[in-house]
Amino acid sequence: MKIRTRQRIAQTTSFWIFRLATYTILAAATYIFLDIGIKGSRTLFTAHAPFINVPFLTQRPQTLFVFDYQGTKYTLSDSEFRVWKAQHPEEVEATSVAYSAGGVWPCIVGTALLVIGSMIFALAVGICSAIYLSEYSQNSRFIRLIRIAILNLAGVPSIVFGLFGFGLFVIFLHWNVSLLAGWFTLGLMILPAIITASEESLRAVPNGLREGSLALGATKWQTIRKNVLPYALPGILTSSILGISRVAGETAPIMFTAAYALRDEMPWQVQHWTDFVFQGVMALPYHIYVVSSKIPQNEYTERMQYGAACILLLLVFVIALTSIVLREKARRRLSW
Amino acid sequence: MAVPLPVRRWHADSLIKAFFGSNALIAIVVLALITIFLFREGFGFFGKNLANIRLYRRAGLEYVDILRDSANSHAALSRSLNDIRKRAAATESADTLSRFDEFSTAFSDSAENLNGLVSDAGDKAVALRDALALLIGDVDHSGENSEQGAATPPIDEAGTIAALRANTATFATTAAALDRTIRDLLKTAPSFQDAITKRAFEYWTKKVDGYLASLPATTKKLQAWNPERPVPAYRAVTSFLFGRDWITASFWQDWYGIIPLFVGSFLVSIVALAIAVPFGVASAIYVSEVAQPAEKRFIKPYVEFIAAIPSVVLGFFGIAVVGQTIRHVSQSSFFHWVSFFPISERLNIFTAGSLLALMAVSTIFTLAEDALRNVPRGFVEASYALGANRLQTVGRVIVPASLSGIVSAILLGFGRVIGETMVVLLCAGNRIAIPDFTQGLGAFFQPVHTMTGIIAQEMGEVVRGSIHYRALFMVGLALFAITLATNYAAQKLVARYRMSIG
Repeated sequence: MKIRTRQRIAQTTSFWIFRLATYTILAAATYIFLDIGIKGSRTLFTAHAPFINVPFLTQRPQTLFVFDYQGTKYTLSDSEFRVWKAQHPEEVEATSVAYSAGGVWPCIVGTALLVIGSMIFALAVGICSAIYLSEYSQNSRFIRLIRIAILNLAGVPSIVFGLFGFGLFVIFLHWNVSLLAGWFTLGLMILPAIITASEESLRAVPNGLREGSLALGATKWQTIRKNVLPYALPGILTSSILGISRVAGETAPIMFTAAYALRDEMPWQVQHWTDFVFQGVMALPYHIYVVSSKIPQNEYTERMQYGAACILLLLVFVIALTSIVLREKARRRLSW
Repeated sequence: MAVPLPVRRWHADSLIKAFFGSNALIAIVVLALITIFLFREGFGFFGKNLANIRLYRRAGLEYVDILRDSANSHAALSRSLNDIRKRAAATESADTLSRFDEFSTAFSDSAENLNGLVSDAGDKAVALRDALALLIGDVDHSGENSEQGAATPPIDEAGTIAALRANTATFATTAAALDRTIRDLLKTAPSFQDAITKRAFEYWTKKVDGYLASLPATTKKLQAWNPERPVPAYRAVTSFLFGRDWITASFWQDWYGIIPLFVGSFLVSIVALAIAVPFGVASAIYVSEVAQPAEKRFIKPYVEFIAAIPSVVLGFFGIAVVGQTIRHVSQSSFFHWVSFFPISERLNIFTAGSLLALMAVSTIFTLAEDALRNVPRGFVEASYALGANRLQTVGRVIVPASLSGIVSAILLGFGRVIGETMVVLLCAGNRIAIPDFTQGLGAFFQPVHTMTGIIAQEMGEVVRGSIHYRALFMVGLALFAITLATNYAAQKLVARYRMSIG
């Protein structure tokens, strides 16, 4: 009897320790979300209509000027400061804080461009690879080699992808710091995840569909095109959405391949349409790196720092949430 | 009409197959390309590094460094004398203290001649090095002296080396004088009341004895030094793999040793895993064995969310919140008993490690939970049938059966942590130095630089094709090799684990 009691106490205690560990993790993560969410929402939202800080989302990052003039304290962005100076001919001593005024519009555009291009590339190559692995593969040595390569590629650090992209695309192919180099670097980085997800979806399509089609005299390709891909595609796209959130948040691969710390033109302001893919862009994660490492932490910089971090976090979460919700839905609907 | 059709179809089908196959091949091609391009950009490093080290010897910088070592150990002794002074200030009388100050000033002044010797010889050696570098043309010293080319006098290499080596005799006489001065000085050393200070001073005296004894050995080393002696080619590799200094863009000599960076990466990963492994494994056990279905449905997606946090946001959070918090905690009176608190740097190994722990937790949790769930039902049922309770079943059956899966989860977590860039770049403090392990656990609260961080930080600033640039690629290659090895070990473990259950 005594032993049973002791065992029960041991069990209850250990299970409570496990529970505590689990909820500590969740609490730590929640704290991060709340801290960045609350401080960031001071930047992102306003107290009066339209409640969203439109200038922050639509302006370029600018230098902030702080100065006292006739007893009032002014904090003006670069463009505002110029207008103000034109009206007030007196000399004022202004402290400038880089990046802290304006908004993050070019960064959002740049990140969107990077995500779209790299996902198109990764999905095209990834789905084709997955079709080969799941539909054509025999258990040959070649296939095993490919699988090992995919597994290892998934473990390569993102900064190594950055170095590789720099060595191959930027230097060897002379693309310089460009969207194109960023697309390929990010696309190759996300490729293993896309292949794995696509293969899983393809394998989930029951074999009866393939066999029925082949039995009716269709070729292999016709079978894949008409009877396998249409059923697998929703699954592939859903699980690939999680890849988007990773591409959107990565900094290391684009540091030397695609991102600029500051650029005055928007991506569509190019001389010739071919220049479009050969231009570097500003990107949200790189911008966060720049504003959190190159400028000090104070009341003036906090607005930009927390605002940028919060908007990236929000973006990634919306994407991840979409993916998780869609996946749950798909699981319920598609039970073969 | 009907005959060629199947043939063409067969052709089309095999073409399609080849198309898909070539796409699948991309994974292998990319892996090969990564290796090739890291090598292509990085491999020239060894040649340049060898030339760099050869020049270091040929120009006599190595000779001066022998002298400098001696001067540096003297300076280190002066510094520890200052430490003793700090400690003694509380316990000793003003009279003793003033005598002690006199003593320590006299001690640090005693090296004046030696320091003068070092700086004279250093100037000569650097001038020769720069002239030789221009002559050879190739070796760059980070652009610092590239414009001095216009007015180079003809190089008198032998003359300069001879002038340098004349310093050996000067050093011998200086050392003898130093020996005498210090021994005289030691006789006038003040005595202390406090036992601890006394012991510290005695320990210091012993170190001084050791230093004085090392002077003749230094003279011998100077005599034995030979600029003509060839530098063996393997030094280019060993000075990279085992070099304890990563010094770039210095006026003296650049060293590219990976050890401080590797130690930094490694320590940060250790901290991250020390936190993440208990939490990750415990929560995996909780979710797979204890939690209610409703809890499971909530916890698992939440952890996936954690995995999706962009690392740069975590890094920013570390700078903005975690570093400050850790420093505040270390300053609170509650932690006065911890010897290395309060910490001086808010960005250090622990700050970065604790944030990386959060990233590693999600990896470890997901993979370990998978492994636990895949334990065959029969094992669990057999355990219950024998009368074991849930804890016993978890501890004696489920965890041992999935142990290799859990270990491989930990390995993959390690791979993720050591390859992570933004968090360590922002939060590890970025000081290129091996932490001072004499402080015990305090070493984990010192700033370091990491392999990933150094690439991210310096790659944007280096001259393409320079030795520094190539050294960064070599660091990338080392990182690549480490993660491949970790991955390989994890895969092997999983393969074995499948067999043991099947």
